[in-house]
Amino acid sequence: MRRVGITTTVPCEVIFAAGAAPVDLNNLFVADFKRSAYIEDAEVAGFPRTTCAWIKGMYAACLDHGVGEVIAVTQGDCSNTHVLMEIYRMRGVHSIPFNFPYGRDREMMARQMALLRESFGVTRAAAEEWRERLNAIRAKLWEIDRMTWEDNTVTGDENNLWLVSASDFEGEPEAFGARAEEFIARARAPFTHAVRLGYIGVPPAIEGVYQFAEAHGARVVFNETQRQFAMPLGGDTLEEQYLRYTYPYDIGPRIEDIRREIERRRIDGVIHYVQSFCHRQMEDLIFRERLAVPILTVEGDAPRELDARTKIRLESFIQMLAARKGAASWA
Amino acid sequence: MGVTLGVDAGSREVKFAAYGDGEVVFRAKVDTVRFYLTCRNGAGLDLSRLPELAAAPRWRRIVATGYGRNNVNVQGGVTMPEIMAHARGAVWQTGLTDFTLVDLGGQDTKVIAVKGGAVDDFVMNDKCAAGSGRYLENIARALGASLDELGAMRGEAPALSATCAIFGESEVVGMVSEGVPVEVILAGANQSVVKRLAPMVARYRPKVIVATGGVAKNGAVRAMLAEAAGVEVITPSDPQHNGAIGCAVA
Repeated sequence: MRRVGITTTVPCEVIFAAGAAPVDLNNLFVADFKRSAYIEDAEVAGFPRTTCAWIKGMYAACLDHGVGEVIAVTQGDCSNTHVLMEIYRMRGVHSIPFNFPYGRDREMMARQMALLRESFGVTRAAAEEWRERLNAIRAKLWEIDRMTWEDNTVTGDENNLWLVSASDFEGEPEAFGARAEEFIARARAPFTHAVRLGYIGVPPAIEGVYQFAEAHGARVVFNETQRQFAMPLGGDTLEEQYLRYTYPYDIGPRIEDIRREIERRRIDGVIHYVQSFCHRQMEDLIFRERLAVPILTVEGDAPRELDARTKIRLESFIQMLAARKGAASWA
Repeated sequence: MGVTLGVDAGSREVKFAAYGDGEVVFRAKVDTVRFYLTCRNGAGLDLSRLPELAAAPRWRRIVATGYGRNNVNVQGGVTMPEIMAHARGAVWQTGLTDFTLVDLGGQDTKVIAVKGGAVDDFVMNDKCAAGSGRYLENIARALGASLDELGAMRGEAPALSATCAIFGESEVVGMVSEGVPVEVILAGANQSVVKRLAPMVARYRPKVIVATGGVAKNGAVRAMLAEAAGVEVITPSDPQHNGAIGCAVA
């Protein structure tokens, strides 16, 4: 089957409508046992050491897996992708740019959508039909998300993995949807962690954040960006759906979304994950001014297990939140 | 009431404090690497192997914290999160309940907002030892100065741009070659630590600062921090054992 690499969430309905399968290059990189070697490969090729690990990993994973075609998001995600796209082209990877127009301009979004459809020879009707089909599968992800905070029967990492997969539905939406249904159907007693955490920012490159928190009395019940990948705010057309998607535009609607979910999910504190060398690190100062709950900023670089420093911070943060609720072992 | 031994395993030194009958009755310090090499024992860390603790009173329990807290598996001990240990130590040592605690350690810088005697929020330096105790030690050593001499140097100084614990040394060597007096370079090193610290401290708009950790013994850093923050900086009588005391009084 024709595979189309993507550098972040894009209107994958268009790819499916063309009879192709999207492959999220981030997932391809991070799920591969060669992921550390990928970063080294990219550095040997000449990527500066001070480039985001995701960019380096996507570069090497794409070439190694022979993905010959990529949609590169050049506005709304990461400006490094501009140059990554040019390097892909130099290496013979067919690269199609896609922009999320800053300012949420409807006409510009309509134009971007039309260009994408033209690139794949897809009609509006065919793409819209896929929106309906994928929404039936997304509904299962919304249910898993609801079970996470309302029934308390889903772990933070399960929530993360299911929602983050909504960028490409693992290339096979029907089978993915069936697996989600099985997951929903299985029974489990509710978790009873005293502290409820939110996780905001990009998905983690480092491993074990969720598990470490759960072992220390706190469960993540909200994954901001991962949830956005599953298009929780809906929309009657593809244009509308991808304009409501909060991640690629200005931070205002993201903050509204986070505040609403903090309230609804009764969140005690928030982990703000930032990626080393990412411009989004600066968003930390905005969140700290505009969110009322305590924030712990965690920085990650390459995929690896949690380091001692991050563990100390997480543990102290959870302890502090537990003490505020009168639930701490040392209170 | 029996004696509690507090253990704070830092990146450079492991600090011990024993507490009983309302008083800290014993203090000791051991090099961190030697601590692990001496005490490591299949089942955990065996403190009875440390000669430094031979003079300590018999303790009834052990409470441990520190950089290696997740690895501080002291036999017969319980562990406490590091931020909490430092906050408790400072509350006990100063008698204050509302302050901003600045802990300046070997590799870590922690700024902790304490309200009503409990941790309200905290921030730690990013992933490098820039502007830390290790940085100051390296600079002083490169210039052949003692830490006491370093701690006395303040005033007009050229800005040291690289606060990196590693590259800072070569910048200093360059200044020596240009004829900048050693005292002036030392003052610059102290100033660069305060510059790095000031934004972390400003976040909590402190009314009073309590400074702990090895660097808190540096008078120039304390004075410049007070100047930068515009508030009084208090140093408890035992800034380096503060984390261990926080564990011991728990």
